[in-house]
Amino acid sequence: MSGLRGAVHAKWIIGKVIGTKMHKTAKVRVTRLVLDPYLLKFFNKRKTYFAHDPLQQCAIGDIVLLKALPERRTKNVKHELAEIVFKVGNVIDPVTGKACAGTRFLESLTDSESLTEADTTYLSEKLQELNVSSTEK
Amino acid sequence: MPMKGRFPIRRTLQYLTQGEIVFKGAVKVMTVNYNTRGELSEGARKFVFFNIPQIQYKNPWVQIMMFKNMTPSPFLKFYLDSGEQVLVDVEDKSNNEIVEHIKKILGKSEETLHKEEQEKKKRAHPATFGPKKYHLRECMCEIEGQIPCPALVPLPKEMTGKYKAAMKEKATS
Repeated sequence: MSGLRGAVHAKWIIGKVIGTKMHKTAKVRVTRLVLDPYLLKFFNKRKTYFAHDPLQQCAIGDIVLLKALPERRTKNVKHELAEIVFKVGNVIDPVTGKACAGTRFLESLTDSESLTEADTTYLSEKLQELNVSSTEK
Repeated sequence: MPMKGRFPIRRTLQYLTQGEIVFKGAVKVMTVNYNTRGELSEGARKFVFFNIPQIQYKNPWVQIMMFKNMTPSPFLKFYLDSGEQVLVDVEDKSNNEIVEHIKKILGKSEETLHKEEQEKKKRAHPATFGPKKYHLRECMCEIEGQIPCPALVPLPKEMTGKYKAAMKEKATS
């Protein structure tokens, strides 16, 4: 009785990709909070899962959402890549939809309106220098 | 000798069982993105510090992951069994407001919890005795006011089986 999606207890999990050297497979580390019975404090317990990634689009450090497969694909692979939640180096803030890095948005850095007077004069000088050097040659 | 740590009350069973949020069966993963600095994330930080242990205690099968300083705005994201994702913006909300909001959208209601408790009570009959897994008590000797366990305190001679059997034999012979 395999049921609707019964290969594995964990139907949906989120983890961080730690390895992509396998062919069309991503190694994902999943952490769960487990209660220590004496201290009564929650600690992260890690477990690695292998996920099927047919397009090999995962890079190390991505946060991914895995979905359990209806049947085991190979001895170890029981999940497949459902979605890359946060791509490493290219995080998009879901609330606003803009690209961000850490606690700053990336778009505002390249916004030409936010440049000050000093910046524009400096840049134009640099441009003139470049023009001069190209004409000399 | 007081407990160790900043708010060690978080590490007591009484505090953990006081958690109000019991997620519906469809919720599988919960993700909290928050920042370690900034006034806007203050509520989220308090939520992670005080309420996450309570939630995880009541929902041991929900995976909870915390991400720090990934995005400028703090938010919660829930991944349901149907593939649906629920985004909850918690910028500038207090700790308690976040808990109330989550309880309203994804928590089991008071009546459902009450009903489940009643069902559990119904299945376990309190007047039966047996293994701890299925019954409340293992033997009548555990109850106050009843005869103590003969393993600890020998029964009076008139109540022992061998005496009663001997009397019966005497009566018939």
